[in-house]
Amino acid sequence: MTRTPLRPLARILSAREKGENPDHIEAENKRLRAEASRDRQRGRAEGRLLILGFAFFVGFAVVGLRMGDLAASVPEEPRSFASGAQISAARADITDRKGRLLATNLSTHALYAHPKQMIDPPRVARELAALFPEMKPEDLERRFTDGRSFLWLRRKLSPEQMQAVHEIGDPGLLFGPRDMRLYPNGTLGAHILGGSSFGAEGVHSAEVIGTAGIERAMDARLRDPALASQPLALSIDLSVQTAMREVLDAGMVMMNAKGAAGILMDVRTGEVLSLVSLPDFDPNDRPNPLVKGDPADSPLFNRAVQGVYELGSTFKIFATAQALELGLVNPDTMVDANAPMRWGKHTINEFQRKNYGPKLSVTDVIVKSSNVGTARLALQIGAERQQSFLRRLGFFAPTSLELSEAPGARPLIPARWPEIVTITTSYGHGMSASPMHLATAYAAIANKGVMVQPTLLRREGTVEGVRVMSERTAQASVEMLRKVVTEGTASYAEVPGYAIAGKTGTADKPKRTGGYYKDKVINTFASIFPAEDPRYVLIVTLDEPVDTSGPEPRRTAGWTAVPVAAEVVRRVAPLLGVRPQIETLVPDAVSARRN
Amino acid sequence: MSFLEYRLKTAPTGARKILHLNWALVLLLAAIASVGFLMLYSVAGGRIEVWSEPQMKRFAAGLVVMFFIAFVPIWFWRNMAGLAYALSLLLLLGVEFFGTVGMGAQRWIEIGPLRLQPSELTKITLVMLLAAYYDWLDIKKTSRPLWVLIPVALILLPVALVMGQPDLGTALLLLGGGAVVMFCAGVHWLYFAVVAGLGGGGVAAVLTSRGTEWQLLKDYQYRRIDTFLDPSQDPLGAGYHISQAKIALGSGGWTGRGFMQGTQSRLNFLPEKHTDFIFTTLAEEFGFIGGISLLILYVLVLAFCIASAIQNKDRFASLVTLGIAATFFFYFAVNMLMVMGLAPVVGVPLPLVSYGGSSMLVLLAAFGIAQSAHVHRPR
Repeated sequence: MTRTPLRPLARILSAREKGENPDHIEAENKRLRAEASRDRQRGRAEGRLLILGFAFFVGFAVVGLRMGDLAASVPEEPRSFASGAQISAARADITDRKGRLLATNLSTHALYAHPKQMIDPPRVARELAALFPEMKPEDLERRFTDGRSFLWLRRKLSPEQMQAVHEIGDPGLLFGPRDMRLYPNGTLGAHILGGSSFGAEGVHSAEVIGTAGIERAMDARLRDPALASQPLALSIDLSVQTAMREVLDAGMVMMNAKGAAGILMDVRTGEVLSLVSLPDFDPNDRPNPLVKGDPADSPLFNRAVQGVYELGSTFKIFATAQALELGLVNPDTMVDANAPMRWGKHTINEFQRKNYGPKLSVTDVIVKSSNVGTARLALQIGAERQQSFLRRLGFFAPTSLELSEAPGARPLIPARWPEIVTITTSYGHGMSASPMHLATAYAAIANKGVMVQPTLLRREGTVEGVRVMSERTAQASVEMLRKVVTEGTASYAEVPGYAIAGKTGTADKPKRTGGYYKDKVINTFASIFPAEDPRYVLIVTLDEPVDTSGPEPRRTAGWTAVPVAAEVVRRVAPLLGVRPQIETLVPDAVSARRN
Repeated sequence: MSFLEYRLKTAPTGARKILHLNWALVLLLAAIASVGFLMLYSVAGGRIEVWSEPQMKRFAAGLVVMFFIAFVPIWFWRNMAGLAYALSLLLLLGVEFFGTVGMGAQRWIEIGPLRLQPSELTKITLVMLLAAYYDWLDIKKTSRPLWVLIPVALILLPVALVMGQPDLGTALLLLGGGAVVMFCAGVHWLYFAVVAGLGGGGVAAVLTSRGTEWQLLKDYQYRRIDTFLDPSQDPLGAGYHISQAKIALGSGGWTGRGFMQGTQSRLNFLPEKHTDFIFTTLAEEFGFIGGISLLILYVLVLAFCIASAIQNKDRFASLVTLGIAATFFFYFAVNMLMVMGLAPVVGVPLPLVSYGGSSMLVLLAAFGIAQSAHVHRPR
């Protein structure tokens, strides 16, 4: 910038010539320079102010436009997409084979608190305590005011309770959606379903995980988000299950038993149509496991699957079937049945020290349930072949049932297998297995010698089985079992219209200290029906039953388990659509006239 | 501007100062505060004694303070600037050691019954000191690096202290107010461009570093940024305020639901509904029209302040007026942007409307200085 000098020589000289004071020129120039500087400053300041004003204006405009934008927007409740998404509450329903609900989910709410947002903690504490008797007002108030910012109050709320909490109206009380597992049939099928509880819990959802039974065994399938909308269909038939449970419950009371178990299985598909263990529980409110005493006394204990018992004479049919299969005997072969039988230092007695000897046909060995006759057959078969046959029938491994308890229910196998074990095993002592094992093995006999793995899931299509005996052997065995009912120990199993074949079993309960109780027995009736074309296997087991209807207490299966099983068949067979075998009606007058 | 008296040759003295106060500004402030009273009454569910009445008392006290300050000649306040700044820094340090912790931040210092928030006071003393500094500084030196560094240090000192409390909102206001005074004092624009560039570069660096090895922030800090950018991600957590405020504004629509008819705020969906988020109540009950009306009141306050600053030939007076106006604007802008989801929730009240003593008192005291500058301007 070129600066004009304050005292330009030319002007000063010319001013001096005119006789003027040149200082005026300097003063004038100084004033001009000051003014120019001030104007520059002013200009700059005004420019700055303009920019500032513009910035303010932009700020206001942004706020105003945003206000308009929001005013024009439709208010929408925010939905939580991301939060809580890692906890998947989806869990598939469980239905019976006909699609009737066994387990489903109910949307409920959990109650939690943000004490820091609470307006009046003492009042909230007071009113909550009035709603929920388990809460104490002092306790709540202390927890609301000790500085924490979050606390759970209740895991589940009913809609009424939720409304009541809403009406307290404090912003510090909040609800989180929570799917609750609901078993609408209560105790029905309790041991099959097992139960569930909350896994990972968040404010926005909680994971439901199976804790027992099929809920646990099939947990991955039930929680698979892709399959959440498809219910898991079980093989169970709800109406059959209902009938079975009712009959067993009544039978348990009548026979003064402390427990009962029942299994009904379709022999062709292996589908378990009903599985009952009593006493049972409500899976909606699963009791805690027993901390002391015998876990087998807990209602949680599944006698049909977990209960490993000596199954007694029901085993005899396996010995005869194997003897037939090996061609050692035919049903009419006479075997030595002289009792008592001495074997080394052991004595084998018949029930009540009877003697069916000197000889019994193989059929009669089963019909009369002769221990000695069975023992003779077992000795002919030999330990090795006996073990391999029982192994093929599945007695050496846990069942493949889809229950979390099933893999743990291992049969108890004698460690060594001397001849005396061969003998006792043949009539069901010394070796223990669960009623489910027994059902599976009987199903193989009923299914013409083909064994199918049991399942609790509905099976579609044909099922591949393993042949464990010839069709002829199986046929002959069923015929023998039929005779047990018509002329043997299970005469109470005669149900009009339904031919039942079956075998009783009474086993003394082993003492925990060793040896056997004299007056505590496990009674089992393993049956097959209809005998002419076997379709179903029914196992009924009673724990410590006593029939007191006679002059003296009776503890054999023929008096306890058999009548209960017969009642089950009477109730269940029509539900299953088994056609009763009734003599054809003689055409009467009415129909005659119609012609 | 003067009322009732024209062509005054010298600054008025004594009681005559009353006539020369910027009465339009006083009326505007009263109008804004009245909006606050009304909203606090509504938020309290129709009870005046909860928030409205204490707020009125504070406003009355604040007006007295404002008039008192306005009557003291502006040169006194210029001479006091350094002292006031030092005092407020001391108080800030005091908070650091003796302060009361409230709402997760250490902000108050208690002197008897008085609960003082020194960070509020600092906003004014900083502006005063900067204005005094540029009044004292030879204009030619304004843009020399050394003479620029001094005010920068003066700004950053309280900013650092306030950040430590932690109070991000106040820190922003201090930075904004200080920057505006420097800008108006004529500091070369290149300085501002460099700072803006560095700031923008910093933000870009922070965002691009995410997920790489040289990540500059902790993961949870990034998540906060995410929440700010998309509050629906965490509607019950950090995004709660924003989501609920948006609902309130949206449900107000153009004309609002009517006085005392707001649901969002009155049903306790909104925390801080009587303090930082009071605007949502206004927006819900009076809609866009109500919101824009309040906005216009704020615009007018700023307009009057700028007009007064332009008229004023005294450098300190005009700079301090502009600085106060800018602080007031930043209060408003940060709060509004926060409420409307355009800025993160940093905890800045809506000036003169939100319930709260310190900010109301300090703002009115600040306008007292602006009034003093107006009354005592050279004629």
